[in-house]
Amino acid sequence: MTTLRTLAAAVLLVAVAALPAQSQAKNYGKPLTLKEKTPISAILKDPHAYHGKRVQVEGTIVEVCEERGCWINIASDKPFEKIRFKVDDGVIVFPLDAKGKQAIVEGVVQVNMLTKEQAMAQAKEMHKERGTLAKFDSTKYTKDVMDVQIKGDGARVQ
Amino acid sequence: MRDNWHSDDAPPARGARSIPWRRWSIALHRDVGYLAVALTIAYSISGIAVNHIADWNPNYRVTKTLVTVAPIAMTSEEGIVPNVMKRLNLTEPPRSSFRPDTSTVQLFYKGTTYHVDLPTGQVIVEATQSRPVLFEMNQLHLNHAKRAWTWIADVFALALILLAVTGLFVLKGRLGITGRGAWLTAAGCLPVVYWLIFLR
Repeated sequence: MTTLRTLAAAVLLVAVAALPAQSQAKNYGKPLTLKEKTPISAILKDPHAYHGKRVQVEGTIVEVCEERGCWINIASDKPFEKIRFKVDDGVIVFPLDAKGKQAIVEGVVQVNMLTKEQAMAQAKEMHKERGTLAKFDSTKYTKDVMDVQIKGDGARVQ
Repeated sequence: MRDNWHSDDAPPARGARSIPWRRWSIALHRDVGYLAVALTIAYSISGIAVNHIADWNPNYRVTKTLVTVAPIAMTSEEGIVPNVMKRLNLTEPPRSSFRPDTSTVQLFYKGTTYHVDLPTGQVIVEATQSRPVLFEMNQLHLNHAKRAWTWIADVFALALILLAVTGLFVLKGRLGITGRGAWLTAAGCLPVVYWLIFLR
């Protein structure tokens, strides 16, 4: 009986140790390695110059993937701009309550061209998911759209 | 009546001591089963919940409420957030704010986001609350904790394998693995075989 109790206590201790510590800053995925941060506005101004390059950016989390926590949108240092930080499903799971917190993330910039149909379908889906105030305006999608995101593997949220 | 479960543990005919493997198997099945009950239930409930992720959010309850206030003047960038707070009777400053476009501002509070359309005064109040117990179960099941939990989950997976294998040999005779058990085990293999042949 004593052995069983000791075993149960040990399992409980390990389980508690396995839970993430409740600290101010929380690290996700791989450690951040770059020493310098790149302004998001610089990436968005000339995305092709950064395509395939590893960058570290910082900003406020303004949106989190509701279903899987597999991406966050980060506000740029300039108004009305944001960039998506995408991670592989399950590798990092961002909690919904990260919205509004500061994030430092690291990954590789990816520039993709979306056809107007793809862009419209994506925007429609996002619009439906978010339930935003404005009516969905399909007439805005008249040409192909450049999609810029950071494919990431490490983040710190505080 | 002779105990059907332990008939293999009768003294060996040739006098040599043999391992009472069935007794060990049953003891393992019993004790590992006790140890695995909690996680098996937690992982199963979480499994059902995350299977239907396309239909609902298994981790959070997100509610969106539309309220309308008087239109908010966009006099200066610095004045927008205080004006919105005043209009919405918010006393605490937000965690942060964001302007997605020229007519919208978002205020982020812990658990609540306000999406404000300044010219119309329409506000979506988005409240996010984690689902009690289920959120924690999903965290464990999907190994959000990482670190030591990875090892605990591995041990649990091994325990399930052990339970499955030892479970085959609990009973002897026509109800055991050489009788009815064989048919039921084969039936249980069908989904796996079907997947391997037709769905892979």
